[in-house]
This record gives sequence, C-alpha cells and structure tokens, in this order.
Amino acid sequence: MMTYFKIAWRNLWRNKRRTLITSASIFFGVFFAIFMSSVQQGTMQNMVDNMVSFYTGYLQIQEEQFNENRSINNSFIPNEYLINSINSHNAITQYAQRLESFALAASELNSFGSMILGIQPEKEDAISGLSKWIIKGNFITPGSKDVLLGKVLAENLKLVLNDTVVLIGQGYHGVSAAGKYRVAGLLDFPLAELSRQVVYMDISNCQELFSLPGHLTSIVLMVSNPDEVQGAATLINQDLPDELRIYRWDELQPELVNLIEGKLASGKIIKGLLFMIIGFGVWGTIIMLMSERKRELGVLIALGMRKTRLTIMIIIESAYIGILGILLGVVVSLPLVWHLFINPLRVGGKIGETYTKMGFEPIIAFSMQPEVFYSPAITIFIMFAIISIYEIWYIAKLKAVIALRA
Amino acid sequence: MKVIEIKNLVKIYNGSEIEVKAVNGIDLNFEEGEFAAIVGPSGSGKTTFLNMLGGLDRPTSGEVNIGGINIWGLSSRKLIDFRMNNIGFVFQAYNLIPVLTAGENIELIMHLQGRPKKEREERTKELLDAVGLIDRLKSRPNKLSGGQQQRVAVARALASKPKFILADEPTANLDSKSTTGLLDIMAEMNRKYNTTFIFATHDKRVMDKAKRIVTIDDGKVVEDKWQ
Repeated sequence: MMTYFKIAWRNLWRNKRRTLITSASIFFGVFFAIFMSSVQQGTMQNMVDNMVSFYTGYLQIQEEQFNENRSINNSFIPNEYLINSINSHNAITQYAQRLESFALAASELNSFGSMILGIQPEKEDAISGLSKWIIKGNFITPGSKDVLLGKVLAENLKLVLNDTVVLIGQGYHGVSAAGKYRVAGLLDFPLAELSRQVVYMDISNCQELFSLPGHLTSIVLMVSNPDEVQGAATLINQDLPDELRIYRWDELQPELVNLIEGKLASGKIIKGLLFMIIGFGVWGTIIMLMSERKRELGVLIALGMRKTRLTIMIIIESAYIGILGILLGVVVSLPLVWHLFINPLRVGGKIGETYTKMGFEPIIAFSMQPEVFYSPAITIFIMFAIISIYEIWYIAKLKAVIALRA
Repeated sequence: MKVIEIKNLVKIYNGSEIEVKAVNGIDLNFEEGEFAAIVGPSGSGKTTFLNMLGGLDRPTSGEVNIGGINIWGLSSRKLIDFRMNNIGFVFQAYNLIPVLTAGENIELIMHLQGRPKKEREERTKELLDAVGLIDRLKSRPNKLSGGQQQRVAVARALASKPKFILADEPTANLDSKSTTGLLDIMAEMNRKYNTTFIFATHDKRVMDKAKRIVTIDDGKVVEDKWQ
C-alpha cells in the first residue's frame, strides 16, 4: 500500500503548477467557507446570547397556559421539590423567578399602559445585567418597595427620581390591584419600546400588588453551555408537575429561530455554489490528469496491476490534492478566525445604531465551533467522493490495448 | 518444451462500413528459450497478433494456450494476474513509469506479485547489473538515454520471471549503437535465463539476431523459418 501512496505523491508533483492551482482553488473555497460560517455562526450566537441573557434565558418554566395566554391567572407556586431539582442540576448555572403582568402606570398628570416585571433583583441582574441600563438612580435591592421605570415611560409620565408612580391594574382572578411606589432608578434600554413600557420591582412587592403571594409566571434558567439546553430541559421536565412546562429559548423565540435559519440557509446556498464551482474545476483537472496519463495507466494494467489497485492509487492522488487544499485552508483561517473570535469587529455608524436599536451588541462576532472547520472539510471530502466515481468509471472502462496507443 | 500454442487465431475489426481481418487464422507454437521475430510490412497484423498473445487484445476467435491454459478463457481479473506472472512486455516507447527510479520500475512488478522486500531488492540489482545499469539504480527515466530506458524496460520485463517476453518494435526508437547493445543484452538474457523472447519488428538487425523468423502478411503466417 505504501507504494501506492509513494507513487501517488510523486505523481502529484509531476505538474507542480497544476497541483498548486487546484489545491489553491480548494484552499480559497475552504478558507472562504470557514470565514463565512464563522462570522455567520458567531453573529447568530451573539444574537441568541443577547436575546437569551436579556429576556428569555435559555430555558423557562411556565404554567402550561401562560405562553399562549399571558395572564397572571396562569401563574404558579413553585414547590420546594422543583427548586431543589433546579439546584441539583449541574448544567443550570443561574435561575431567577419572575412575575409578569400589565397595569396602568400613572402620575399626577398622565397615565400609560405598562408592563410590570416582578424580579429577584440580584439574580435577575446576574442573568440579564439589568443594572447596566440604569442611567439615573440606583438598582433595587431584595425586599425593596421601590421601582425602576423605563426612561421614556418616566418622561411620558413627567416623573423624575424619587417621585411616586401609581400602578393600577387587575390582580389574581379579577381582584383590583393598586399601589404607589417611589421611583428609585431610570432604565434606558436600546429598544425604545421597552423603555416606553417597563416597570421593574422586587418580586415580593409585585406579588403583593397583584394579590398573588408566592406566585410566579416564570422561572428563567441559564446553562453554562448552549449545547446543554436540551439535556437540562429533559432532566428538569421529569421533575415538573403536570401543570408546568419547560420551554427552550427557541420555543419562546420562534421569530428569532426563523431569522437564524433563513440566514444560515442563504449562507449554505452561497457555500454550495462556491463548492460546486470548485468541484467542476477539480473535476476538470482530474479529467485532464487521467487523459494525459492514459498510456501510463495502460502500461500498469499490461504489467499486471489490477484495476482496483490502479483506482486506489488514482484516488489517493486526488485525495492528496483535496487534503492539501483543506489543510492549507484550515491552517491559514484558524489563527485569523481565532483572532477575530477573541477580538470581534466593532460595528460603527448606522449599522451599529441599528444593532443597538435591535437590542444587540454592535459587534460582528466570530465562532470557533468545531463545525465551522470540519464542515467545509466534509464538503470537500464528499466532492472528491463524487469525483472519484468518474475515476472509477474511467479506469473500469479502460482497455490496456487502446490506452497503450494513446 | 512448448510454451505457447496458438490455434486458429482470428481478429476481425468491424468498421462502420467494412470488416477488417487483422489476424486471419494463425496457428503457431513457441518453445521454451526461443528468440523469435515476427516480421511483416506495416499493417500486416504483427502488433495485433502480439497483443492477443500477451492477453491485451481479445481475439474474435481461436485460442492462445500458455502452459496449457487458454488465456482468453480466463476472467479479466485472472487474466491480469496471469499476465503479471507469465508475460513480460517491452514496448517501443519504453513506457517506464516516470515517477519511479530505474530500480523502482523493476521492483514494482515484483511488489505487485507480493514478493518479499529483500528478494525484490536483490533481483532488481541482479537485473540492473545484467543490463549494465547498476549505477543507475536510483535514476529516474528522464535522466536516462533511450537505450538505457529500453534496457531498464527489458530488466523490468524479466523481473516477474515470466514464461516469455513480448517486445513490440523494441529498437524502433534507438540508434544503431543502442540497438546493438540492447540486442546483445536480450540475447544474453535469453541464454542466461532461458526465457522465450518474441519480437514484432521491421528492424533488420533484430531479424539477423533472431533464431526464428515468422513472417506475417494480411493477417496470415506466410513464412516460418529457423536460422
């Protein structure tokens, strides 16, 4: 077998220029595919991370009906067994309880509809980094009777720090809910819509407002590695009572999933076209190579080399070309992608503003997922497997007596 | 001892309009250790005959029995193996594998036969020494002259210890000095290893050296003489 590898390797360098040009075309394809996959996956992951950490978490436990009908009547009281179950899973790094509803926020002059979010301040801050959006005042502490208002909501209500906001709404099963609270801080989110309607308060305060002692609408769970989401969901699901359900982030954000899938699909089409062009180029090289060496192949058959062995030798030779291109592509792209993974590109100007407005960090992030690197290699491998069908066919139909006349 | 027995060998090429009988019913036998030349004008059927003898071109009808085996009754795979173990080829254009050295070209066929490395190396050196090229063991074909390449080709043909060697116009591309040298070597190999040599040739010098001359014309043996 070593002889075939040796002959194939030497044959590779019989026409150095052709080998290098063919390998270079594969190299550029692999390099471009890696770069493109890395930036696509990195951007998507960044989008998911932003969305997940900002609001949904990787997983959420909710009452069965809540996702369809976001009413506080569809809230639940977590039992000790559930909390112990969450604490016992190593994959879960953080969790926070929330109570979410709607109320009318009023000042002396105005009133506006608002979204009330009862949170566990420290845990929520650890997950979503809520405190970083505070532009005035302070973050609330556990047990605090104060609230945080969205900046635009505060402006609309003509309220400033330490003013009082009145919340009026409907509590559990139609009970009236009303309370007045001091404004401890103002939040300025990148998404203006959020700043226009959110009111954050401590969860116990919120439960009291809506007459829901001990009730939650969701428990937000974070995992250390996005790959562990499904595993963690399955484990926790086993411990959930019938009326509760666990949702993955992609179930809670179907629009985001569609956006990601759409972008990935367009990337796949571009990469597919790229590899198709490269594939035809490589095929052309192989056709030329086989044609040029027709007589030599005839000699080897005449001397007694079986066609299967001859095919193996030719396939090894074309595999060398592929491996050379793949290795070059990976070796050159690896440090570049690594550098961009560590130092993502900052996006400025209007594009950057758009990113920020959408609630995403204005960066072009890169991914170092192994898939980014092995996926083009597998594509090239498949490409060569298809081309080798031509080689097998060519040698199978080759007649030594005709080849010797070539 | 009879090495090759040819019975009523026919090869017909069917063109679009006409049918050409390249070989038209040849009956011949070759004995062990013969040094024979197949001669005839261009288009007489020499090369076609040699190709059928060597298991390269399937006859339309007839038999080629080598060591009692009708080679055209073998499967393609068995025929390739049979060729490897029993027939040596020397081509007009040398046809050495350009990426292999002289030694590796000779060794390749023994490698295909599955012979041990030590045996391969020893025989390669012995054969290269016999053709006077032991000092070119590691030279690639492009570093050898035409005459030297053909001598390596003869050594390669002998490497598998074949029953006979078929040489199609082996001297056609060689100058006078190289031709004489090559013929001397082949005659020596014939004598030393008792291997049968069959040439297809126009070359008067080859004919002069041959012990038997078979003349073919229009696909038929018209003369078979010993000298």
